[in-house]
Amino acid sequence: TKGDKAIVLGNEAIARGALEAGIGYASMYPGTPASEIIAVLDKNKSSIENLYTEFSLNEHISLHGAIGASWSGIRSLCAMKNVGLNVASEPAQFLSYTGVKAGLVLAIGSDPGAPSSSNEQDDRWYSLHNYMPIMEPSNIQEAKDFTKDAFDISEEFSFGVVLMAPSRLCHNAGALYFGDLRDRSDIKGDFKKDPENYLNLFGMAVRNHAKYLERNELLKKYLIESKFNKIINGSSSKIGFISSGVVYAHLMESLDILGIYDHKILKLGFTFPLPGELIGRFFEDLDKVVIVEEAEGFLEFQIKKIAYELGFKGAIYGKEFFKQTGELTIDDVIIGISNFFEKPLPAYFDFAVKKDKELKDKLPQRSGTFCIGCPHRATFYSILKAVGFSNTEGKEREAVIAGDIGCYTLGLLPPYNAMDFLTCMNAGLGIGQAISIFDKQKKVIALVGDSTFYHSGIPVLLNAVQNGSDILYIILDNSWTAMTGHQKTPSTQKDIDGKPSANVLNLKDLVKSLGVSYVKSLDPNSVKRFASQIKSALKEPGVKVIIAKRECILQEARRNKILNKKGSGFTEAGESLYEIQKSRCVKCNECFIELACPAIILKKDEETGNDYYYIDPASCVKCGVCCEICPNGAIRKVEFDLKTEFKLRQRAEVKSAEEDTNEVRINV
Amino acid sequence: MKKFNIAIVGLGGQGIITMGTVMKNAALSSDLQDVSGSERRGGAQREGYVETFVKYIFYENESEMKDPRKSMHSPMIESGGADALISLEPLETLRGACYLNKNSIVIFNKTPYIPISVRMGQTSYPEISFIVSELMKITENIFYYDFDAISLENFNSLTQKNIIALGALFAKAVIPIDIAAIENILKKGKGSENNLKAFKLGLKL
Repeated sequence: TKGDKAIVLGNEAIARGALEAGIGYASMYPGTPASEIIAVLDKNKSSIENLYTEFSLNEHISLHGAIGASWSGIRSLCAMKNVGLNVASEPAQFLSYTGVKAGLVLAIGSDPGAPSSSNEQDDRWYSLHNYMPIMEPSNIQEAKDFTKDAFDISEEFSFGVVLMAPSRLCHNAGALYFGDLRDRSDIKGDFKKDPENYLNLFGMAVRNHAKYLERNELLKKYLIESKFNKIINGSSSKIGFISSGVVYAHLMESLDILGIYDHKILKLGFTFPLPGELIGRFFEDLDKVVIVEEAEGFLEFQIKKIAYELGFKGAIYGKEFFKQTGELTIDDVIIGISNFFEKPLPAYFDFAVKKDKELKDKLPQRSGTFCIGCPHRATFYSILKAVGFSNTEGKEREAVIAGDIGCYTLGLLPPYNAMDFLTCMNAGLGIGQAISIFDKQKKVIALVGDSTFYHSGIPVLLNAVQNGSDILYIILDNSWTAMTGHQKTPSTQKDIDGKPSANVLNLKDLVKSLGVSYVKSLDPNSVKRFASQIKSALKEPGVKVIIAKRECILQEARRNKILNKKGSGFTEAGESLYEIQKSRCVKCNECFIELACPAIILKKDEETGNDYYYIDPASCVKCGVCCEICPNGAIRKVEFDLKTEFKLRQRAEVKSAEEDTNEVRINV
Repeated sequence: MKKFNIAIVGLGGQGIITMGTVMKNAALSSDLQDVSGSERRGGAQREGYVETFVKYIFYENESEMKDPRKSMHSPMIESGGADALISLEPLETLRGACYLNKNSIVIFNKTPYIPISVRMGQTSYPEISFIVSELMKITENIFYYDFDAISLENFNSLTQKNIIALGALFAKAVIPIDIAAIENILKKGKGSENNLKAFKLGLKL
């Protein structure tokens, strides 16, 4: 309720802003870092009157859904990650032609530095072409407040409004003051025909094009005096800074750290469109302007054009001081400002940066990997076995493996290195099917997850069938959009509370109906069977599909926990578990490096000093794959009590414990 | 304005983000107080590097809180800007060492999780003594424990190690937040009994 204060994520603040604006529709195709925006609404929808939420099959559909809701008079929120707008760029383009009825906000989670993406594109550039206004909140409070206001602006100027939030804001957790919620009882759809705006053909399209250019001019006028763009006056300095979004927050803290307070600052809440009059007002008395922003310089591009039109005689700096690639961190901003003023860096900061450079070279890299018990690990192990490849031998893998987007993308990392290319959703089969036509010498395998397949893979598969490709397509069907926090897919059989889903799709039948005659569906954790199936499929001509069907281990384990069921899942005391018998293990590395399950660890025998492999009972989830692949029969299932085992372990370590007690306190 | 910055690092699945959430929720009582800090969520559940920042901000008065040059804070901690670092994995302590200065307090967990590159024999995992000596070049306030072992011994599970480490932080550093405020938050959450016990265990270290 109003006035309440709580710790929320940036994404949750956006969702709250949308609720305060009275949305009745919220949708997205899940994508990090934006997923929680819709997930939090979806989770709570039973307690929110007249709220429809949807995890759409892709971003194109999701934005169209939001448009349909808007035209029915329902305020609608559509969220996506940065690359999602590529998929939704077509509806976005038309949205400016047609305009909205009820407010429509498109919340985009951008991902500079690409910690969870396959590129770091800056979606703001789209607006130079589709004219969607862009708002950039700088902190959690603004994320909520801007979102709420965005709906009013959307309605007033009849544009879909983009709310841009980088991962640093989406996943910033901090204090938020709530505002009032609107009465939701009157949220009801009523589609009113509007052929003037909604029909676009020939001259109608040209007329609507002219109309949105006019609306853009009106919005520009409004933004000259709006509360969103703020000028903070300096003292007599002739230097000014322009920034927006999270980078503005970096800028303000950096200036505070550096003790610089006397320069003029323009905070842009709207980074498109930019009113010339506002920029001109800021330029007054300045002879140097520094634009602090991430990526290629969207603001610099616009502001230099405005400066030319205004005849501004001063100098404008930007990308000379702030890098174009990777995330622009607070460190980058501190360094950029110091360089601009030719001032030395603060000593503590300089020391830490140098020490870090020196240290990082000495540290082993750590890359993510599949969860313990993940069926994808078994799938990759089987694929590599089937094409006769070993992680340890160091010879080239002949078969081409086409990658795609999802948890299984981690298969491109060591030790598997099992992908030859990775770009966008469904590029794996799209590019792979053409390679199979032109390179007849190599076997081509394309991978895809269930969610990615449903996103836009069906036409690609149909295309491959229609045009005579020779490719093995493996669909890793784990029943969930797992990587983004487990949203449902058409493959989801039952929810984590055990409730069966309505409308479960039979994937095998779907694939068959597309004209694929070779379709197999099996459990990848039966690695021997699975590998031999891949081997025989590779001998067949044409398009072959193998569905690696096994549910995400995390969801299975969560369900077991909720329903209080034993079975595969996380270990509790007194359960049977796998163990490696020291006497039989010859350290052939089949489990340790080829399969590379993180539950199998290297330990030192205190008496002999020899290394041995050991299954950590606190981590193992009993998937049993290591047991199946061990060529020496060294892995067996035993009754196990975690607590007893821990005590045994402790006793072994007691000898060396004298100088190595639990606490070591050094010169405090 | 006073600031107190805490960086928490470790691996996905260790409860790093939960620690940050607990610490932030304990800072809601005063109006002249702000709290923020971003999370790196990419590696969650998948053994990748995860970090979260907790930034406490205390304003002197209302006018400072409304001053645009003082009231906007980055979600990140700058290099050398952390008053405290908690790390739940020894090697990752060194990756988080960039946030340390000579006065910082470091609490780290002794149980290593071996990265794939070490598993494959391409690199080696640093000895604890190396980690400590590198940290000592920055700050002398270093405390390390086997939080995995303490959690296993007391709870028969590894899941409490994050809250034990949180207790250890409050035992070793002067944090401008009441211990009772943290306990209140733990009381409200899931598994409160174990969490309170874990926090107390940490406080005794």
